[in-house]
Amino acid sequence: MKDKDDIKILLDNFQKLENRPIQYDEDAIVSAYQKDNEGQSLPIKILSIFGGILASLAFLGFLMITGLYNSGVGLLVTGGLLIAGSILSIKVNDSIIIDTLRVSSYIIGFTLIGFGCEQLKLDENIISIIFIIIALSSLIITQNYILSFVSVIIINGSILALVLRNNAFNFIPIYISILALVMTYFFLKEANIITKSKVLSELYNPVKTGLIFSFLIALVFLGKKGIVTISLGYILYSSGILILAIVYLISILFNVLDVTQTREKINIYVFTILTLLPTALSPAISGAILVILLSFYVNYKTGFVLGIISFSYFIFQYYYDLNFTLLTKSILLFSSGLIFIALYLFSSKKLIVNEKV
Amino acid sequence: MQREDIQIISRYSDLTEQAVDEALKANVYNDKIAWQKFLRLFFISLGVCFTVSGIVFFFAYNWENLHKFVKFGLTEGLLIVTVIIVLLPKINANFRNIILTAASVLVGVLFAVFGQIYQTGANAYDFFLAWTIFVTLWVIVSNFAPLWLLYIILINTTFILYSQQVANGWSMVFVCATLFIINAIVLVSAIFWGKKKIPNWFLNTVALASVSYPTIGIVVGIFNIDQTSFPFLVLITALAYTFGIWYGLKTKNAFYLSVIPFSLIIIVSAFIIKISDGGMIFLLVSLFIVLSITLTIKNLLDIQKKWTNER
Repeated sequence: MKDKDDIKILLDNFQKLENRPIQYDEDAIVSAYQKDNEGQSLPIKILSIFGGILASLAFLGFLMITGLYNSGVGLLVTGGLLIAGSILSIKVNDSIIIDTLRVSSYIIGFTLIGFGCEQLKLDENIISIIFIIIALSSLIITQNYILSFVSVIIINGSILALVLRNNAFNFIPIYISILALVMTYFFLKEANIITKSKVLSELYNPVKTGLIFSFLIALVFLGKKGIVTISLGYILYSSGILILAIVYLISILFNVLDVTQTREKINIYVFTILTLLPTALSPAISGAILVILLSFYVNYKTGFVLGIISFSYFIFQYYYDLNFTLLTKSILLFSSGLIFIALYLFSSKKLIVNEKV
Repeated sequence: MQREDIQIISRYSDLTEQAVDEALKANVYNDKIAWQKFLRLFFISLGVCFTVSGIVFFFAYNWENLHKFVKFGLTEGLLIVTVIIVLLPKINANFRNIILTAASVLVGVLFAVFGQIYQTGANAYDFFLAWTIFVTLWVIVSNFAPLWLLYIILINTTFILYSQQVANGWSMVFVCATLFIINAIVLVSAIFWGKKKIPNWFLNTVALASVSYPTIGIVVGIFNIDQTSFPFLVLITALAYTFGIWYGLKTKNAFYLSVIPFSLIIIVSAFIIKISDGGMIFLLVSLFIVLSITLTIKNLLDIQKKWTNER
């Protein structure tokens, strides 16, 4: 844990950057460090989320077997109380120790409200909208890491449920494009978002992780053939947006990689677009590449690993679904493989030349 | 300075966006060297992956007109070329290992072509057994984590296929117990006898497999009592888990201290469901899970606090 001296050193570093004395609240920083020290470790976050999901499943089993879901109003009230309890408990005790209890009662609360609405014969669209409203309000009321993350996933799931329920499949590519733009903004404008307000700063990490999960889940609908039927135009449109986002990111990378010559830049742009164009029919591939590049840019390991795993899956699915003979597929793969090996050799050679200079 | 430092300090001070941006770029974000390393690794992995898949697809296409000698000749020719590249003196170690991994996949292609020509079937266990045996030397010599992972997957696949195709009447519990022993031995040898630094993702993947098999095996055993190897599996699991917890505490590794309790919680939940019936028991299980996970997290936090104070 950081003590006051460590914090002093950090602040001195910032002072140099700003060239002026910085106003800060030392007590708040010390107590924030104390709390942060508890919640940083990834195993604990994963434990509380998986524990919450398991407990909710067991509870669902209890409801199904005992058949205690006949009173619609009773379910709604209990569900509402559980959700309110999990949100308000943070104001009383925000320790990560009881996060599992919070997540469980939060998820079970949503399940009960879902069952309750079903009993009252409410339209499924209305249920989705109710879910979105509750999750959004929770994001505004509390910025607890795990609850915020689950809320983002619930919002995404409800939007997808709305789309599927109404057979508005063409909306999926549009939704993905919007998510991609929001995600890119979130990653590239980190400094802007976390300095805007305390609430946004606390929401930043969980929402970022939630966005990546939501984006990848939505991409599965485009990456796997035959789940839903989407018009070609919409698919190409979302591919276009994703490729543009990647090209924009590359233009930022030029600063990091010290690429200054215009000719070199144009070559890289052309190469990127030519490599991505054959995947235009499967936007999931460009989407996964976007996640990989963004996560590597800001050095976000969880996102990077998720990106690599989904990239491998989408590539596999792409060739699996491709309606060519194995021979054509073989030639396609073999030649693109050779291109990448050539690229590797080329970049290694260039690096050696640079180092010699 | 880490991301958490920048976030916390900016939250409770009047730092400007520009200063935060500069601090992030200078201390947290990846620099030029990291990008170059990543891009080159990305290109070569994609290149080798695509090329090898291209070769696999080429042979998967049923060449009726191609004489079997041509098929063998092509595969073996490719294999020889890749091995020659590996033996070239001037290439860097990473590149060499990636090519050797590709060569190991090509050995599989060779046996698949053999199976195709002599109709031995593509999923027969002996196909995977031969593949495993004939890449063993390369795996040991290269000591390359991805190749080791491929090797372990091959061993697991061979054993599972053998248990399904040849060994009649092996119970699920016995299969899980054996797979548990195999993976645990790999994990323990990697930890204690690994010569160079072994990447964490590799150890964690093998550890996850080592914990999944006994969890599945014991849960299956709880619901089908008449399996003779069940007491044995429980015994070795108890021993291995005790050892795992001890090792986690000793090396300050939170991964083992969360995976093992999680597995135990699943096992106990299954046991509670087994010993009683009726719907109410699920409510009890739900409460038990919340309570036990909470306790695990509380203990983990206490231990982590102790670790940071010791530093």
